[in-house]
Amino acid sequence: MRDKHVVIDVGDGAAIPDPEDKGLFTAWRISFFGTLGIIAYLLIFRPDPYLDIIKFLPDGIVVTFQVTFASIGLALVLGLIAGLGRISKNTFFNLVASTYIEVIRGIPLLVQLFYIYFALGHLVRVPDMVAAIVAMGFCYGAYMGEVFRAGILSIDDGQTEASLSLGFNRSQTMRYVILPQAWRIILPPVGNEFIALLKDTSLVSIIAVSDILRRGREFASESFLYFETYTMIALIYLVITLILSKILSNVEHRLSHYERR
Amino acid sequence: MNADNPIISIQKVHKSFGTFKALDDVSLNVDAGQKVVVIGPSGSGKSTLLRTINRLETISSGSIVVDGRDINDSASDINRIRAELGMVFQSFNLFRHKSVLDNLTLAPIKLKKTPRAQAEQHAMELLEKVGLVDKAESYPVQLSGGQQQRVAIARALAMNPKIMLFDEPTSALDPEMIGEVLEVMVTLAREGMTMVVVTHEMGFAREVADSVVFMDEGKIVEVAPPDRFFDNPEHKRTQRFLEQIL
Ligand SMILES: Nc1ncnc2c1ncn2[C@@H]1O[C@H](COP(=O)(O)OP(=O)(O)OP(=O)(O)O)[C@@H](O)[C@H]1O
Ligand SMILES: [Mg+2]
Repeated sequence: MRDKHVVIDVGDGAAIPDPEDKGLFTAWRISFFGTLGIIAYLLIFRPDPYLDIIKFLPDGIVVTFQVTFASIGLALVLGLIAGLGRISKNTFFNLVASTYIEVIRGIPLLVQLFYIYFALGHLVRVPDMVAAIVAMGFCYGAYMGEVFRAGILSIDDGQTEASLSLGFNRSQTMRYVILPQAWRIILPPVGNEFIALLKDTSLVSIIAVSDILRRGREFASESFLYFETYTMIALIYLVITLILSKILSNVEHRLSHYERR
Repeated sequence: MNADNPIISIQKVHKSFGTFKALDDVSLNVDAGQKVVVIGPSGSGKSTLLRTINRLETISSGSIVVDGRDINDSASDINRIRAELGMVFQSFNLFRHKSVLDNLTLAPIKLKKTPRAQAEQHAMELLEKVGLVDKAESYPVQLSGGQQQRVAIARALAMNPKIMLFDEPTSALDPEMIGEVLEVMVTLAREGMTMVVVTHEMGFAREVADSVVFMDEGKIVEVAPPDRFFDNPEHKRTQRFLEQIL
């Protein structure tokens, strides 16, 4: 019998708040309302230049979200395939998935980004956005593959046996019995990856994608207000990631209903 | 009983895990409607034997024919055969993400394309039978072990199986819950279900079994009707085993 105690590492995303924490002063609340307070203070008492800065950024926020959602979509699909490949008994499928994960995890994201942008640029003309999404998606897909694998393996063999004994085949068992349960285990690390990915999208500013950071750099290089601009950018990233981690914690809480007595 | 045409026919089955022989030349026939109880010491191959019948465990050699179909023949659709063989596990294995009702309706809806309303009606009848109508909306974690096992029996019955396989269904239960599960099994036996039951419940074996199979070290040592088996066992090893447990 295989030991089923799988611990899924929490990545480098923001800490997901504990929905059971009913205290008034939680780390999340202090950070969130503190950040909002600082932004409000700056906009009200120092509208010049902070109001100008923040007016310049919304297009960038939209782009950051577009890249994040498209990349996470691609990463989830690749991750599911890679995760299933890694546990597959089919040697070919297994090797392809394992190699993909090994290779991608060995190359820094920024290098992948440059590589896909410039190398692919020689072969086909890819829009900057697409290059960014493909690079982010492939990179995070490899990490996601390991998360999926661990999540699937954490489900007790008895669930599979019960499903098979009812007449479900292997793929029906995966679909109706294993994945719906693995999903709940996978969600926290996937949420962390999502937030980490959103932060890492700041790297795409280097390849001419107008995300938050690039918009900010454009503003700063014209106005020379580097300190003020990057202050505002940091605050905006913080607000976004804090909101996301709160949403994730609530979704997670809801998904765990069948584990509660 | 129709001895010429058993519903389960196990012939000269061998099963090895590496060099270890878990089943060693095992042959056994089960007729339709018969209740066979399998007993034996731990590690004797009882679970392995039961699990080869629905091919959760593949055999190394020999043949197993269930309801006229060789289950190890690549031409037989194993999933179809499994749907006719209900299985109940020691550890219940209810689907943790599904309510009790959904545990019962999942397979009929997805595999037999039974309309949901009809599947739910059948499920409620089965819950009535195992005495758990009021738990239809509960999730498995909210139930006691005995209740979970009764749901697991109902879930297996929801596919209208011809045969039920039980692998130590009461071994994981607190003593006060064993009775409620055995009661359901006795009812099922009375209704004429073909049953193969691995158990240590000798009272159940005496009351329900048509024949008792004693296994040791991967071999079937003795097969006899319960009276003879318990009161006048033929083999030394059977006698020693019974002395230990009774
Ligand atoms: N997957 C496996 N790999 C290796 N050995 C196995 C495997 N499954 C079972 N065995 C071995 O086969 C033998 C028979 O196991 P089995 O589970 O059939 O015994 P059992 O009679 O059901 O015992 P118990 O009363 O403890 O449940 C045991 O020695 C066991 O260690
Ligand atoms: Mg066993």
